[in-house]
Amino acid sequence: MNPTLRAKPDWLTSLFPWEQRALTVNGRTMAYVDEGGPEGRPVLLLHGNPTWGFLYRDFIRPLTEAGYRAIAPDWVGAGYSDHPRVDAALTLPHHIADLASLIDQLRLHGFVIVGQDWGGPQGVGAALQRLERLAALVLMNTWLFTGYVGRFHASPLPWTTWHAPLIGQFFMKRQKVLSYGGPSVTTRRGMTEEEARAYHHIFDEPDSDHVVLTWPRTIPLREGDRGWADMQAIERRLPELAGVPTVLLWAPEDNVFPIEYAHRLKELLPHAEGPTTFDNAAHFLQDDRGPDLARAIVEFLNRTVGPAP
Amino acid sequence: MKFITPTAEELSYLRSDPLVWEQELDVRPEVAEAIERATGIRAGRVYWRSRHDHLYALELADLGRGRPSMAMVYGHWDRYEPRPPEHEIDADLLDFSLWVAEVADGLDPADVAQVAQFAGVQTTWPEGSVLRTPDDRFTDLPGFPYQPRYVEVEGLRMACVEQGEGDPILMLHGEPTWGYLYRHMIPLLAEVGRVVVPDLIGFGRSDKPVADNAYTYKSHVRWLRGFIEALDLRRVTLVCHDWGGLLGLRALAQMPERFIRLVAMNTGFPDGRDLGEPFMRWRRFSQQQRSLDVPAIMRMAARRALSDAEAAAYGAPFPSSEYETAALVFPRLVPVRPDHPGAYDNRVAIETLKTLDLPVLLPWSDNDPITGPWESQLRAIFRNVAPSLVIAGAGHFLQEDAGEQIAVHIRNWLGATAER
Repeated sequence: MNPTLRAKPDWLTSLFPWEQRALTVNGRTMAYVDEGGPEGRPVLLLHGNPTWGFLYRDFIRPLTEAGYRAIAPDWVGAGYSDHPRVDAALTLPHHIADLASLIDQLRLHGFVIVGQDWGGPQGVGAALQRLERLAALVLMNTWLFTGYVGRFHASPLPWTTWHAPLIGQFFMKRQKVLSYGGPSVTTRRGMTEEEARAYHHIFDEPDSDHVVLTWPRTIPLREGDRGWADMQAIERRLPELAGVPTVLLWAPEDNVFPIEYAHRLKELLPHAEGPTTFDNAAHFLQDDRGPDLARAIVEFLNRTVGPAP
Repeated sequence: MKFITPTAEELSYLRSDPLVWEQELDVRPEVAEAIERATGIRAGRVYWRSRHDHLYALELADLGRGRPSMAMVYGHWDRYEPRPPEHEIDADLLDFSLWVAEVADGLDPADVAQVAQFAGVQTTWPEGSVLRTPDDRFTDLPGFPYQPRYVEVEGLRMACVEQGEGDPILMLHGEPTWGYLYRHMIPLLAEVGRVVVPDLIGFGRSDKPVADNAYTYKSHVRWLRGFIEALDLRRVTLVCHDWGGLLGLRALAQMPERFIRLVAMNTGFPDGRDLGEPFMRWRRFSQQQRSLDVPAIMRMAARRALSDAEAAAYGAPFPSSEYETAALVFPRLVPVRPDHPGAYDNRVAIETLKTLDLPVLLPWSDNDPITGPWESQLRAIFRNVAPSLVIAGAGHFLQEDAGEQIAVHIRNWLGATAER
């Protein structure tokens, strides 16, 4: 039996007209958009912190028009999925298990992972558990390793102060600096108030934003950090992706994952195309340059694996 | 941060509101360990009072990892009352965050402050939450030519009249009046001292937060203390009436070194005792109003006939009912039961007041059904009280009915007690 989701508000429909579906994964509700029909190759569009499937709104139509099946899930803790109040349920291994469950339940074969930010390690982490069914990989401003830490994630202004024990609860939850301050703050193209609201409203309920804090805290900086072993488990298995067509699409102006991260990925995935760079885009490049990125992805997939699974 | 041990009785009058739930205190073990060192506990609770006098607790839990690994921060608010304005809680939690950064290795309070700044943490009254009565409401008031001096207290503008020189004579009004009430006394007392007549927050020419929960016994005390500290008043003769006494006596107990004399008139210091049916009747009446006709109330209560212009002057601070929150709320804040917010604090304050030997004068009117019977309570608290001074024929607002007469009494008594 499929769980029911909370209703999408009317004002959102014109910006995000697609039906939100829901599955139970690991006992929690996961919301997702699934457009294009079962005959197209499934393309999993994976967001990160603090966004949700809305980030990919410019990707769904181009992909389905090219014959692909666009699936944009919301990670548990974000978007229209359940927002559990327990941080332990929101760690990297849990997110990976949730996506693996979605892949299983939807019987996805020959799927493509498109991941940005946490969508990278969580998507690749799940793909490594279902490697036989993985067709291609698109990585945008993300990381899959422990060896390199950029300035942003190591800096106390604001990052490590923002999410420090107790202090992080004040800034991230009570002040909602991230839940109300993601793409709407970094946007390069400018954003309408309704678009900003679309990103923010999923965290309107007090204390609904645990994931916004768990995510930064599980970015491993040093050996022994929470998430260190989980990230290393992914990094160690990257050579297994050698036969999977992979492309790196990058916004070099992003101060969170600057181009050095792409270079490090290229070392670990030497067969990957790119990085193809997109200017006038910050961390949430899907929002800043959505149609251009969608075009690049369709071009890459048509050339490598094609729309038929 | 100074940790304290609140009494079980105080805690029994408060409710604890979980504000911060930290499930991952040891996500950075060195921070958890530093907190253990700073609090002296691995599991359990420590308490502190914030700069807003709110009581907070940090609760630590030990999950067997050899250090505190979960934490909860509680705010303790008056039972059955809404919690204080959110910006006060934000400011207090920011102070707490700064403390965490101060004690923890690898965290810097300066970073927390900077992050707070660009996160736009709202630690003062938000736009639109405070009203200010337009100045033109206060022009040409009969018998009140005084220009206000303004003092900033917790982001609010507090007005006062200042006249004369010498040791300060601080005169505090109550419900629902303002400094105007003291106009017959100001010129006479300004000849022998520096008269300072503030308008309480929400009254007179002072700023008026709109929200009900801005006003508590505790917040009024805080603002008054802030006012006294801002002007750095010392060697103060406190003259108080009605709520001015409820607040002034609390300030006296909290900073006794600043005061040298007390004149209390038709006021009280409710500690949970029965305040009598006349007060309860007024309380019931006031709490059923959506707005107060202050000029009519003053006309009714004054034993002397007020002119239209005088009555209107009492209504000047309140152009509409939006401005009247403080006046509407005040009667509800009077502690009427032993567990009522403020009653416990007054019982604690009374223990301090009993130890003071400053001279006390109690001019009391004989025609005030509400506070008339309350003189004996104050007489019993203080050691050094002058003989009864009955202001015959005056009502509750004795400054209005017999201001000059009282001022003369006070002047004589000031002279008689000058050698302290």
